[in-house]
Amino acid sequence: MQKYKISSCENIQAHLSTYFDNEMPLWKRHLIRQHLKRCSACAEQAASIQRTDKLLHFVEPVKASDAFLSHVMRRVSAVKTYQKPQRSGLHRLGIFVEKLLARLRHNIRAYTPIYTLVLTVAVFTMIGVTFYLPPGEKFEPKTQFDAEMSEAHREKLIPFEVIPTQQSKRVLKTR
Amino acid sequence: MFVSDEDLMMECRRGDMSAFELLVRRYQDALVNYIYHIINDYHRAEDLAQETFLRVFKSASRYEPKASFKSWLYTIATNLSKNEIRNRNRRNTYFIADLVEEGETVYDSGFMADTRYQPDILYEKKERQQLIRKALNQLPENQRLALTLVTYQELSYEEIAEILKCSLGAVKSLIHRARQNMKKLLIKAGIGEGVNAEI
Repeated sequence: MQKYKISSCENIQAHLSTYFDNEMPLWKRHLIRQHLKRCSACAEQAASIQRTDKLLHFVEPVKASDAFLSHVMRRVSAVKTYQKPQRSGLHRLGIFVEKLLARLRHNIRAYTPIYTLVLTVAVFTMIGVTFYLPPGEKFEPKTQFDAEMSEAHREKLIPFEVIPTQQSKRVLKTR
Repeated sequence: MFVSDEDLMMECRRGDMSAFELLVRRYQDALVNYIYHIINDYHRAEDLAQETFLRVFKSASRYEPKASFKSWLYTIATNLSKNEIRNRNRRNTYFIADLVEEGETVYDSGFMADTRYQPDILYEKKERQQLIRKALNQLPENQRLALTLVTYQELSYEEIAEILKCSLGAVKSLIHRARQNMKKLLIKAGIGEGVNAEI
C-alpha cells in the first residue's frame, strides 16, 4: 500500500488544486484545512490559486447564436434523408455475391470474342512449346535421373556376344 | 420531469428527433463556449459544435449507454478542436484574437459589437478578458484542455480523464501544472498577483 504523507508543505501545495475542485475525500480536506490554518506559506499559495481561478472566471462565457439550433437540425435532417438503411451482415453478403455474378455475366457477354482469341492463342502457344524441338539440338541430360535413363538406354545398344566358357583340360601327369 | 442525457440518446436512437433537439438545446452553449476557449475563434467554434452534434446524430444508432453522454460529447468536441488546431498550425493561419499584441486594439470575434460609444470600463474589462484568453492559449494543449474542462465546464476529474484518455493521477497533475503556469502567465501579462488582481 502506498504511503501517503500529507503533512509536508510540498505535498499540501501539490494537492491544493484537488482541494479547491472538491476532488478529494473529506478526511484529506480536513487535514489540508487544518494545515492551511497553521502554515502561512501554504495559505499564501492557496490564496494565489484562488486568485488565478477568479481571474479565469472573469472571462465571460460565449453563447451559441440564435440560429445554431436550426442550423444543426437542418444539417441533421439532410443526413437523415441520405442515410443508408441498416442491413444485416448476411443481407450485405448476398448483395455482394449478386453484384459479383452480375459483373461476371456482363464481362463474359461483352468480351466473348476477346476471351476466345486469347484462349486460342494460349492453347496454340502451349502446344508449340511442348512439341517443338529446335533442329540439331541434342538431348542433354540435366538431372541425375536423365543421366541414368540415358545410360540405361545406351547399354541396350551395345552389341555383345556370348562366349561359352571352356572347360579346362586336366592333364594328369604320371611319373 | 428531468430526463437523463442517456435516456434522450436512446430515444434519439429510436428516431425521436425531439429528443435530439432537447440534447442540442441542453449543450449548445456549453459546447460552443468550450470549443471557443480552445480554438479562440467564435465562428469556427460554432461550426465545430455543429459538426460535433452531427457526429453524435450519425452515431446514435450505435450508441450504448456505457459511459456518460457528456464525456462522449466532449470527447468528440475535443478531437475536432485538436484537429482544427493542428490544421491551423499546418496552414499557418492566424485569427484576429491571436494577433493581439502590445496594445493593439482588436476586438474579440465573439464580441464584435461597436464599443466606441460605451464607457471605458467596458473596454478595460474586454481588454483584460482578452489578456486572460491569450494567457490561456499559451498553455500546452493538454493543460489548456484540462483547465478549460474543469474551470468552465465544471466536469469532474474522472470525466476529464475519460475525455483526455489518461489516468486520474495524470489529470490531477495536468490541472495543477496548468494553474501554476497560468499564474506565471497572468503575472507576465500584468494581471496576476497584486497587479490589478481585484475584480
